[in-house]
Amino acid sequence: MLAPVAAIQRARDGVRRAAVRRRLEAVASGKATSTSGTFDEPGVDVAGVIEEITVGLKTDSLPMERLVVALTNSGAVDRMIEGLEAKSAHHRSAGARAIGALRIYEAVPSVAPLLASRERPVSDAAARALGRIGGAHSAGALLFALQRRGISRRLVAELARGAPDLFIEAALAQPQKPGARPALALAAGLRRRRTATSQLTALVRGGSRRERVISCRALGWIGATTAIPAITEALYDREWKLRVSAAKALGALRARDSRHEIHYLLADRNPRVRAAARQALRQIEAG
Amino acid sequence: MIQRHSGPRRPSLVASDGLRAEPPVQKRPEIPRPTFHDMTSRLSTIERAPVFFTFPEDALRAIARRVRRVRIPAGEMVLCQGEVGDTIFFIERGRCRLVVEKPPSIVTVAVLSEGDFFGEGACVLGRSQQASVYAQTECYLLALDRQSLHAVMAGREGDGMDELRRLAEQRFSLFADISVQATWGQLLQEATVIGVYSPKGGSGGTCISLNLVGALARRYPGEVLLLDLDFPYSHSALLAGLVPTSCLARIASVPQESFEDVLLSTVLYDSGGPMILPGALRPEEADEVTPELLNKAIAALRKTFRYIVVDLGVTITDSTLALFDLTQHVVLIAAPELSAVKSAADAVDILSRLGTPHDRLTVVLNHRSEKPAVSKSAVERALKRNVDLEIAFDGIRPEQAAVDGAILSITNPKSEIAQGAEALAAMLDAKHARSRNPVESSSVSGGIAEHVVQPS
Repeated sequence: MLAPVAAIQRARDGVRRAAVRRRLEAVASGKATSTSGTFDEPGVDVAGVIEEITVGLKTDSLPMERLVVALTNSGAVDRMIEGLEAKSAHHRSAGARAIGALRIYEAVPSVAPLLASRERPVSDAAARALGRIGGAHSAGALLFALQRRGISRRLVAELARGAPDLFIEAALAQPQKPGARPALALAAGLRRRRTATSQLTALVRGGSRRERVISCRALGWIGATTAIPAITEALYDREWKLRVSAAKALGALRARDSRHEIHYLLADRNPRVRAAARQALRQIEAG
Repeated sequence: MIQRHSGPRRPSLVASDGLRAEPPVQKRPEIPRPTFHDMTSRLSTIERAPVFFTFPEDALRAIARRVRRVRIPAGEMVLCQGEVGDTIFFIERGRCRLVVEKPPSIVTVAVLSEGDFFGEGACVLGRSQQASVYAQTECYLLALDRQSLHAVMAGREGDGMDELRRLAEQRFSLFADISVQATWGQLLQEATVIGVYSPKGGSGGTCISLNLVGALARRYPGEVLLLDLDFPYSHSALLAGLVPTSCLARIASVPQESFEDVLLSTVLYDSGGPMILPGALRPEEADEVTPELLNKAIAALRKTFRYIVVDLGVTITDSTLALFDLTQHVVLIAAPELSAVKSAADAVDILSRLGTPHDRLTVVLNHRSEKPAVSKSAVERALKRNVDLEIAFDGIRPEQAAVDGAILSITNPKSEIAQGAEALAAMLDAKHARSRNPVESSSVSGGIAEHVVQPS
């Protein structure tokens, strides 16, 4: 049970938060034009409120434009930018979240360095912000972080979300550090764009072990039926993870022509391969 | 109230080094600025693009700084129809083909080259990609993403964004119209038009056209027509042993209301099944066959036949070009001779420039002598594509058949020419076959309404 003082404080914070939310909603709907002092409310997670209001809003939508203009005119956006360089991890992540929610593309150079932060909440907030903002610069920053850190689920997911057309495909075609290419293949799979099919197929045929495993799954997610021959060849690989991945991909692709090859895996020495083959055959039969 | 298209909008943010509480652990290297020559090249591409040339100089420079260059190998997919998109692609070098896939057909709606752009519908209007885009040749594209475009155009909406939106809407409607017009024939179950083009005289174009019609007519008696546009001397009727009395050129002045009847009465009927419509009987009549007349005639003939094979001859005229637009498939005849191979390579290039999809072009290598001077692999190297069908040397049979007025694919199915024509007909039929009559398809599946249509 909360102590009375803490309960009262919490209630006050709740009232302030509601007031901030009402003000921002009024701006977004065009009923008000100014939001002075909004970002300085003590005890209120303003970044969270902004995130709530902007969920589902498009970058070029009118409510979003109104919010950005009002917050810029009130100086709140400048304080968000300054907050990105604060000592407190809380302030830095709050600034990044708010900037991401408002999709301020011009702030990408200020948010990008936070990806290298040792504090996980800060780097995650920065990655989320860049993923939400999108565009070539955001994707470039995320790719640079991936090259440095290798596969990170947050970075891969945000790169898949924020990368512009052909960004990942072009990056896959260029020389990359060993850890980056599997991450890119994963991001290409998560994006589910058929334009990445040829790059991923090339990786299935000639990539490293990890790249081949991930590319198979990615092709399955994309639904790239043209890659079925390459994936079917991977069923005979010595590496069990690749056999599992290929079986799963063929199941996802409903590759009826590869049934016999998958059937052969039911006698595989590895139980995971056998399980994956069984599951794939079930998917194919289900059509 | 804040106006959407006015006033300062997005903040201009400049990172101040003095305010940094702690330096970042590892700073991301700055994105390299384009060199002077690179900027010039980017600017000249963007300046040439429709609508963008109206943008102010500083906006163009800002765009040129923000675009990224992407190299696409020939044949690769750049954009996929139906997917979301956020980027405008300017073509800096190369050629791209925009196709709308409307099963069962694929319609090329545009072929774009240097200075054009695509992807604006998804980027500016927020719609899914209307067409798939393939690189016809190796392409260098400049990619401008939505965020960069908005960042550059913030605060100057009137400077061209409205024009860009209008252009995107206009193109969207245009491509939709083109794809509908191109597929309406198939939707209405009308004839497939196949153009047979032989870029060098003596390659056997007329002979193969005639035998192809014979092979198709064996499958669909009374539903296949050969339109002979091999000007100035059209000999298909003569080779089939028929005596023409009229031709397409002579009905050019027939009034619209009776045009279709007169046109069909001009068609010559062969006892074996195929039908032949001569384009002109005398060399001077060839000029009467205009693109307008061809459009009118093909529109009328498509309602009556299943396949219309057009012998396009050697020369490329306005009529030939008009026919290329009307064809669903082009068969290119090449002979294994040096000059014929060179001409065929040029023709493949021209056809790809005209937007003929790769899968709608069939290359046939016709051997006119026992020992060919040029090998098949050499032909393929010259054409930069595979030969789809090879017809072996058939001795004097074709010449003898011409003297006898016979079509080998009907009278002698074991001859090389007949076998080649049969294989070609099978390929084309596999690609363009359809059940013309719903009753026919019900007869295949069986059931209560089982009626078998007897060939007429």
